[in-house]
Amino acid sequence: MIEIDHVSKSYNKGAVRAVDDLTLTVHPGEIFGFLGPNGAGKTTTIKLIVGILKADGGTIRISGLDIRTAALRCKAMTAYVPDEPEIYERLKGIEYLNFIGDVYGVSGVDRRERIGHWLEAFELSRAVADPIQTYSHGMRQKIILTAALMINPRVLVLDEPMVGLDPRSSHFLKEAMRQHCDGGGTLFFSTHIMEVAERLCDRIGIIHKGRLAACGTLAELRDQAKDKASLENIFLELTGS
Amino acid sequence: MSPTAALVKAALNSNFGWTVVRHRLFVQKRDRWMVPIIALAVIGAVPTLVLYVRLLSAAFDMMQSLGQEKALLTLAVLAGQFIILVFGLFYLIATFYFSTDLEYLLSLPLKPSQIMLSKFAVVLINEYLTMAPFILPILIVYGIKKHKAPGYWLLMPLTYLLLPVIPLAAAGLAVVGMMRLVNIGRKKDLLIVLGSLVLLAAAFFLQFGLSRASGTSGPDAQKIIALISSPDGLVQSVGRRFPPAIWATRLLDYGLFTGTGIAGFALFAGLSVLLFGGLMVGAQRLFFGGLVGLSERSGGSGRRAKAGAKIRVSSGRHPVRAIFLREVRLMNRTPIFLLNGVLGAIMVPVFFALMPMSAKPGDDASDIMRLITSVKPLTAILAMTLFMVICATLSGVASSSFSREGRKFWVSKVIPVDYRQQVLAKLLHSMGIALLGIGSASAALMIRFHLDAGKWLPCLALALPLCTFVTSLNLAIDLARPLLDWISPQKAMKQNLNVLIAMLLDLGFLFLYGLAFVTLGKSGLSVAAIIGIFFALSLGLATLAYFWLLQFALRRYPSIEG
Repeated sequence: MIEIDHVSKSYNKGAVRAVDDLTLTVHPGEIFGFLGPNGAGKTTTIKLIVGILKADGGTIRISGLDIRTAALRCKAMTAYVPDEPEIYERLKGIEYLNFIGDVYGVSGVDRRERIGHWLEAFELSRAVADPIQTYSHGMRQKIILTAALMINPRVLVLDEPMVGLDPRSSHFLKEAMRQHCDGGGTLFFSTHIMEVAERLCDRIGIIHKGRLAACGTLAELRDQAKDKASLENIFLELTGS
Repeated sequence: MSPTAALVKAALNSNFGWTVVRHRLFVQKRDRWMVPIIALAVIGAVPTLVLYVRLLSAAFDMMQSLGQEKALLTLAVLAGQFIILVFGLFYLIATFYFSTDLEYLLSLPLKPSQIMLSKFAVVLINEYLTMAPFILPILIVYGIKKHKAPGYWLLMPLTYLLLPVIPLAAAGLAVVGMMRLVNIGRKKDLLIVLGSLVLLAAAFFLQFGLSRASGTSGPDAQKIIALISSPDGLVQSVGRRFPPAIWATRLLDYGLFTGTGIAGFALFAGLSVLLFGGLMVGAQRLFFGGLVGLSERSGGSGRRAKAGAKIRVSSGRHPVRAIFLREVRLMNRTPIFLLNGVLGAIMVPVFFALMPMSAKPGDDASDIMRLITSVKPLTAILAMTLFMVICATLSGVASSSFSREGRKFWVSKVIPVDYRQQVLAKLLHSMGIALLGIGSASAALMIRFHLDAGKWLPCLALALPLCTFVTSLNLAIDLARPLLDWISPQKAMKQNLNVLIAMLLDLGFLFLYGLAFVTLGKSGLSVAAIIGIFFALSLGLATLAYFWLLQFALRRYPSIEG
């Protein structure tokens, strides 16, 4: 479970409020889609959840633990995939996976089984022994996803995970996301692809100028909107686009 | 604005980050604390500068009494150009071939020579800044002491501007040629490292080979008399190794209103233009060849491992070991980090050991070493300990440890590993490199200066805790303000302000340490007692610094928002 309670984050000494008094909860077994225009505060929120950024105020809890006071325990149950696949280019794919396995304490047996499964699904088996600097953008994204799924975390936080993925990998990822939540895990992800959000998410939050403009199931969002035709229309209406 | 001018302007802005600095200071209002720190570092450097100017002034007086003061100019030009030739090599390789903006620049409608020019401008301006504290005082002291006319003061900036062009353009040509040659096959990184070492060795041996051939050394009285009986005797002798130094001396000393001065200018400026033009032509023909190959994916589908090939999955390394291994791999596999860090630590003592070899027995260098190693045992131990510590820690490995992670720093923030453990892994890695430096320094002292085990062991005992203290300090400096947003790996190491600040602080600390050591040496205590006291003191400092660093990591890591 992820609980965000009155969290704010500003830049330039308060001149830019990237996240403004945000409150929301993502329950176990739930896929939560986070939508918003560019610069609305999606990535900032995600970075606050995983501990890359420090909130100015408010509390974030992972499975009931405060990320400030129990940071290590929170991190141990969370896996994060960033929007830009910036990882150690000079390591080989398998070295990166082993590094992540070591620091998250994934056992050798689990590691072998999960790595084999996800490399197969993402068609990375041949490339995994090569340096990451030889990978394309999509392949880098897939190696980070493989590392995140290998950990088998209770909480998955993904920032635009579909960007750069081929249709096959995208399909497997969506299946993995569903399975993760069916098994009781929590998933928080941001996307710009309305169809994905519409089909995959149990609940959707729309952030605009750092504030939560709307939050609920697709049906609930439709009830709030005048134009109920599609999520895209709801999104455009709520964000004033 | 022409495309070339726009490109040069953008490259300089991107490298020096003027826009970012302005934005941080005046818009974000961040990093304002850096202003007094930098001012303090500059003020702290003033006593050293005063000491340097006094030394130069004394050297001028001494040389003037022999009628050889012009050799000061020749030495300044020679020293400046040699430093640029040797240290500019890695810098040029990093800037020409490893900047992350190159792939983007390749897609723009620009000529190779235009891209090369923009990169060259960045290196050139950096060299002006690097040389300034060493060379400008010499030129200024010479001008003041010699009561030079206004013409000298007008020509001085011109000479200073031309100074790095010859060595940089020559090094640039060698680098462009080398990169085109080594850019084949899959072992590019290894070839780049080996090629760089070959170029470095060639520059080094050329210098000292010429130095020996010129026959400047040797206590031959007749030679010395012949040398000082001609007004330009020493200039000719020193400059024979590198004639542009003589031309620059003539240009500065005779001015542009004499035949000798004009000839000096024509030759000095002419060779600069010729080599720079040669670099641009070389760039046009070879630059893209060396560059395009680098950005090619070496692991095409045909080269990838066969399906089903055994993948080596590890099981359960301790997080400290895993992070240590990551540090080792990232440093050893990034040519610029490897050249500056690991090889820097190993090569500096080797060069030091080779330097007196170039001269004949009985010359100044040999005498200095004999003096250090035999006259006063305590002075010898102090000098050798400090030499070991300097070789071990001045490579910038610790003071760039966090900066080197760059935009990948997010990984260190999200992994469930205690920040103290992460810092411990970095300390162990930096100490590993420091041990290489100590080993190389010890070998240099043993082989070249016959350092025996009886003297080596106390030096080692003093150097190890000192290195731990200095390394902890250097890690803390980088942790306080890591430079995570860089496009050239060179910027994370040699152009990193943290490395410079750490170097100044380390030297200041070692100076105070040496002062305390010498003061206690005069107290009449036995050598063993003094070594014991300083060993205990260093150990205490190292322990304090280590535990403080761990606490600092706990406070600092969460607020780094990379």
